[in-house]
Amino acid sequence: MSMTIHPITMHINGKPVGPVPVPEGIMMIDFLHEYLDLTGSRLGCGQGICRACVVILDQPDGTSEEVRSCITGAHFFEGKKVRTVEGHAQRNEQGEVVALSPIQQKFLEHYSFQCGYCTPGFVNAATVLVEKLKRQPVTKAQLDDTITEGLNDHICRCTGYVRYFEAVKEVVLSTPGLVKDAK
Amino acid sequence: MTTPRYLRTALSGLALLTATLLAACDGGSSSAAASAQAAGQVADKNAVKPGSADQIALGRYLTKAADCAACHTTATGAPFAGGVELASPFGKFYGSNITPDKEHGIGKWSADQFYKALHDGVTPDKHLYPAMPYTSYRSMTRADTDAIYAYLMQQKPVAVPTRAPDLSFPYNMRFGMMFWNVPFLKDQLADASTGKSAMWQRGQYLSNALGHCAECHTPRGAFGQLDLSKSLTGSALGRVAAPNITPAGLAAVGWTAPDLQTFFATGIAPQGSAYGEMFPVVHLSTQYLSKDDLTAVTTYLMGDQPLPPQPIKTINADAMELDAGKRLYTAVCAGCHGFQGDGKPHVAVAMKGNSTVRNADPHNLIVAMLDGIEAQKFPGTESLQDMPGFAGQLNDKELAQLSNFLRATWGGQPASITADQIKALRLSAAAH
Repeated sequence: MSMTIHPITMHINGKPVGPVPVPEGIMMIDFLHEYLDLTGSRLGCGQGICRACVVILDQPDGTSEEVRSCITGAHFFEGKKVRTVEGHAQRNEQGEVVALSPIQQKFLEHYSFQCGYCTPGFVNAATVLVEKLKRQPVTKAQLDDTITEGLNDHICRCTGYVRYFEAVKEVVLSTPGLVKDAK
Repeated sequence: MTTPRYLRTALSGLALLTATLLAACDGGSSSAAASAQAAGQVADKNAVKPGSADQIALGRYLTKAADCAACHTTATGAPFAGGVELASPFGKFYGSNITPDKEHGIGKWSADQFYKALHDGVTPDKHLYPAMPYTSYRSMTRADTDAIYAYLMQQKPVAVPTRAPDLSFPYNMRFGMMFWNVPFLKDQLADASTGKSAMWQRGQYLSNALGHCAECHTPRGAFGQLDLSKSLTGSALGRVAAPNITPAGLAAVGWTAPDLQTFFATGIAPQGSAYGEMFPVVHLSTQYLSKDDLTAVTTYLMGDQPLPPQPIKTINADAMELDAGKRLYTAVCAGCHGFQGDGKPHVAVAMKGNSTVRNADPHNLIVAMLDGIEAQKFPGTESLQDMPGFAGQLNDKELAQLSNFLRATWGGQPASITADQIKALRLSAAAH
């Protein structure tokens, strides 16, 4: 394969990136790791099954969705807005983390993860789910199924599923407006 | 898988254990005897004693070869208790209960009545619709229907009522089938290939009388009858079209007899994997065929003198269109199908030389990109992960560009797909 270089430009975690010249066909995860030093997204299976590599794609209409960065080319994100696991916590001017996002905080409190390899994917999946619930709240009766559906594709080999589930449920129930009949 | 039960009883001797494992490696231990039976020894078959273990084993093999389970066993239901939905332009049919249950199944039928149902489409109490492929099964020998009958009578009776078909007028008038059968029920289906060898003849019997290939791969006329002037030239009854499997049709997209045998045995070959309605056919039926029978089927499909597989033609296409398609391919396809279209083992099939990409008719290529393909576990240890559908990710123009890139680069087909063709298939998705 001859190496063709195409420059790439996008927004990552709210900041403009590029144009960066990268080889055509490079996968998004490699672009994040090798060109931007954003190493938080995990390469697990490399074939789109485990979802450890998932990043968030922010659509122009205000919706957000998960995209598997190991099987999606970096150029797919040309001109688009992306969030990675590095983009959730609040940081001070020196770049130090001063506060975790609610999802991250609850994952810690619930001891949701053990080895932590799947955690970036779960953080992104749970964040996308919470944002979806902000737009489309569900009833309390639908909540368990909704959370299961939102996290179901993600694989955790330490089997932390229940604690991930409980952490997400606590965030959803304690955030106003996500559940129609919360009280 | 029956191995664990065998293992428990095999403690008495290592020899038995070894034999069991060897049989398991053979891909279905108990079909081995039946395979030998079914390999064309007509004299032996006629000698099989009614109700004997040999007859039941033969019946088990033939029930698989005839793919009865495709319509008569649902994924979650009891074996042969019916319920699989079959959509048609006339309405929906549901596979019937063919367990030996006396009330809901065929428990009260005699072997004569069973033969009449397969041969004439007439059961003790009604006329069958040709959704039940008696049009194909008609050529089955009496010895074979008796063996299938004997096997089915060994199954566990299941008291599940058969769901009535959901048909529009006038097709809901069953007696009409009497008049349908007069012009359309033929003793012999038309052959798409030529041959005379014993293999070809056995293949003809396997493909027509048992496997009923024509029921999906031959186009149908206005009354739902097989159009025998166009035998096996392909038909789009379901969302995924049944491709042209005539000798010329197979050669045009690169099939060889050994690859086709691999495809039937394992569901996957260099030309691609079984998907759509062909996946359950491999899963439930063709994977169990003996080596000789697989050779027979491909000999029948390709003829005694098979045509050589066609090389992929070089296509001159508009560079702008191809470049746009290539960018999309590298963005959303190459992660699994490879930059050079070589695919990834156990993940995704190759695009280079893929029979769907090479098909002059882009129907299935577009449908696969729009709808995706579910994860599939093939016989043995092979599996492919699910392919996501891109209906929500890519618009009509982008999917047309992608189709054109694939066709021109790896399919030897012109880059002639328009956004309107994508749109038409996108809109028709709801109908299936």
